[in-house]
Amino acid sequence: MSVTTYPATPALPGRATNMTTNVTRVLKGEWMKLRTLPSTWRTAVIALVFSIGTGAVLVISQASQWATMTPAQHRTFDATSCSLFGVMIAAVLLGALAVRSVTAEYASGMIRSTFTAMPARRLVLAGKAAIVAAFAFPVALVSNFVAFEIGQRIFAGKHLQVTLGHPGVLGAIFFGAAAVSLIAAIGVGLGGVIRHTAGATTAMAVVIVGGVVLGQLLPAGLRGYLPGTALQAAVTVHRSSGILTPGTAIVVLGIYAAIALAAATIRVAHRDA
Amino acid sequence: MIEAQLLTKCYGKTVAVDGASFAVQPGRVTGFLGPNGAGKSTTMRMILGLDIPSSGEVRVNGKPYAQLADPLRSVGALLDAKAIVCSRSAANHLKWIADSNDIDRRRVSEVLDIVGLSDVAEKRVSTFSFGMSQRLGIAAALIGDPETVMFDEPINGLDPDGILWIRNLMKSLASEGRTVFLSSHLMSEMAQTADHLLVIARGRIIADASTGEFVNGNAAPSVRVRAEQQGELANVLTQRGAVVEGTADGCLVVTGLDAAAVGGAASAHGITLLELAPQVSTLEEAFFDLTRDEMDFHAGQLTGSTKGN
Repeated sequence: MSVTTYPATPALPGRATNMTTNVTRVLKGEWMKLRTLPSTWRTAVIALVFSIGTGAVLVISQASQWATMTPAQHRTFDATSCSLFGVMIAAVLLGALAVRSVTAEYASGMIRSTFTAMPARRLVLAGKAAIVAAFAFPVALVSNFVAFEIGQRIFAGKHLQVTLGHPGVLGAIFFGAAAVSLIAAIGVGLGGVIRHTAGATTAMAVVIVGGVVLGQLLPAGLRGYLPGTALQAAVTVHRSSGILTPGTAIVVLGIYAAIALAAATIRVAHRDA
Repeated sequence: MIEAQLLTKCYGKTVAVDGASFAVQPGRVTGFLGPNGAGKSTTMRMILGLDIPSSGEVRVNGKPYAQLADPLRSVGALLDAKAIVCSRSAANHLKWIADSNDIDRRRVSEVLDIVGLSDVAEKRVSTFSFGMSQRLGIAAALIGDPETVMFDEPINGLDPDGILWIRNLMKSLASEGRTVFLSSHLMSEMAQTADHLLVIARGRIIADASTGEFVNGNAAPSVRVRAEQQGELANVLTQRGAVVEGTADGCLVVTGLDAAAVGGAASAHGITLLELAPQVSTLEEAFFDLTRDEMDFHAGQLTGSTKGN
């Protein structure tokens, strides 16, 4: 039995002190981790099914109530955001996936293997956030496209449909996916700060859904800046007052993600693993 | 090569590791011996940069761990075999580790071969027995073909075959010129595997010596003797400065004189010996002798030699 059956590549001096090398390694390692967990793909499928399904249910209900709606409700009716309502579900599920990418490692103790393989802890957190966000984006994008198509076909029965070519529609689909992606980054931050799956997942749900409920207590001007309302704003085409533009909503979510990741970095980098 | 300088770790008021200075040299198996809670795992976590020392420092191959350009090509470590997200397959677990250090994916199948897990490479780690997890952890440690390997209690929970396998693996890694550092609280195992010992108790390094030196320096050799005139022999030996104790089975255990001196004394007094056997002291005895001194706050003589290093 020989241990050196294959001569390992010698460590080239100075090569890996190079930041680019470290970034590539962290991204490669974290992507391999994410894609080899069966729960990653399960979550993606569940997120697709439930977000598309939720959108369809809301569309059916709105279409059936159209005749009994007030003229005011007719004026503010938004066929796009209605069909994309399931983006909330995608955000909660993919946010929870992001949370688990950190907390599962703390729970099992594998975080020590991670930090032994990649001692640059800040980079590991940033890399995890980038990978999970990059994974969440296409899932949310596909979900949004499909939900939009299904929704508009149902609305077509009442001649309420819009098309992809309508102003703001493509924007809503893409900004909605970007918002989910940023919420996944927030999830990595929450996971790093809280470190326990149950606690951090609950926090994630509160951030998205709870914010919408709690928002009713806030003045209208502030309400729009909550993560959950920002997510809704990203998929809204017919904007009423107090709702952010999709671009601003993305910036707001980006700031939340930066804050969550900065807090996680402080907590993870300066503590014993 | 692992070098610690006054390495200290406190948790609140508890001192887990107390000013540990030592060097773990390449080319031999160094055992890190100490009772549970002595500070072995904490020391190992500080070596890997996982725990931040309260004071002092530790370098691996001349650098603090976090500054190693290719950490897994320098150091391979197994701390806790069960500390793994276990819904991945064994091969996939090794692949992310390889990817994170730009190690050729071919190494994955090679190390799986070395540890004998090739047949279960695609099985989820959750289905693994403890012994298999231990082997997977060792595969992960070896994947970067590192100069230094470090294992925390590697034989805990293994069957005799597994123990023999690990023992041979450690020795072969050391014979290839690598630094091999393994911790254990099992002294019989250390006596068989380690060439050199670093003994820790209550967070302090109390001995740093070759296994042979440690055993001989800390457990007084004794002679077991039985004679027809047992009482007379005891008197004679005591007069010559030996310490004599009776045993339950009717023998005398003599310390302070070797077997030849005991035989000579018996012969000079016409005493008939029925049994005369030098007792080889064990690492276990040496360890307890040393730690008993430590508990009484009489630092053993080896502590002095450690500081002199």
